[in-house]
Amino acid sequence: MDAGRLRVSRVFDALGDPGRRSLVEAVASRGSATATELAAELPVTRQAVAKQLMSLADAGLLRATRAGRETRYEVTPEPFGDAVAWMVDVGGAWDDRLAKLGQALRDRAAR
Amino acid sequence: MQIEREIVFPASPDEVWEALTEPERLEEWFATEVELDAQPGGAGVFRWENGEERRAVVREASPGERLVLDWDDEGEVVLELEEVDGGTRVHVVETAPDWSTALELHALAWTPVA
Repeated sequence: MDAGRLRVSRVFDALGDPGRRSLVEAVASRGSATATELAAELPVTRQAVAKQLMSLADAGLLRATRAGRETRYEVTPEPFGDAVAWMVDVGGAWDDRLAKLGQALRDRAAR
Repeated sequence: MQIEREIVFPASPDEVWEALTEPERLEEWFATEVELDAQPGGAGVFRWENGEERRAVVREASPGERLVLDWDDEGEVVLELEEVDGGTRVHVVETAPDWSTALELHALAWTPVA
């Protein structure tokens, strides 16, 4: 199997499981998340979540960055197309707006 | 399909409510030019520097508590305020319009081929 087909096959394997699909959605709706954050809201152990997140990152669906002792994941929009791209765009817009809103409230309090 | 954010600001719910509903305050953080009548049925027009314009109708407005906007492309935004130690927790949920839900099903409803 060539590299391109191997990658497509990994994407299908990764998303074939409903639990993994809902993990991708949970990460996408938050913008980014760690295994601990997701396990707190899902009926599964942190260890199980961490393992699935790693396999989703291996398939190229999530991007992992080290944050202290934890690994933080965000969705790689490209393999999903418009739906996840919407979540990443709209989520990013809210991150910017809320940062500006915080600044505006602090500026006002300082006056 | 939706996105969700939560953040605590060091300000009272009333102060945050003003920043969410008064046009000149919204221009500090939400859009470049804002018109908004923040009561149920009221209209909103938001313009950005890049020429983008979005229109909305206020579905719910409970001062200091909850604001719901329906975008004219059928998406919606729910902003909820809650007083907490040290300020106000703002919970934002933006729901995608129907067209993107159809795309989501296309993107996420893959099943492995035997």
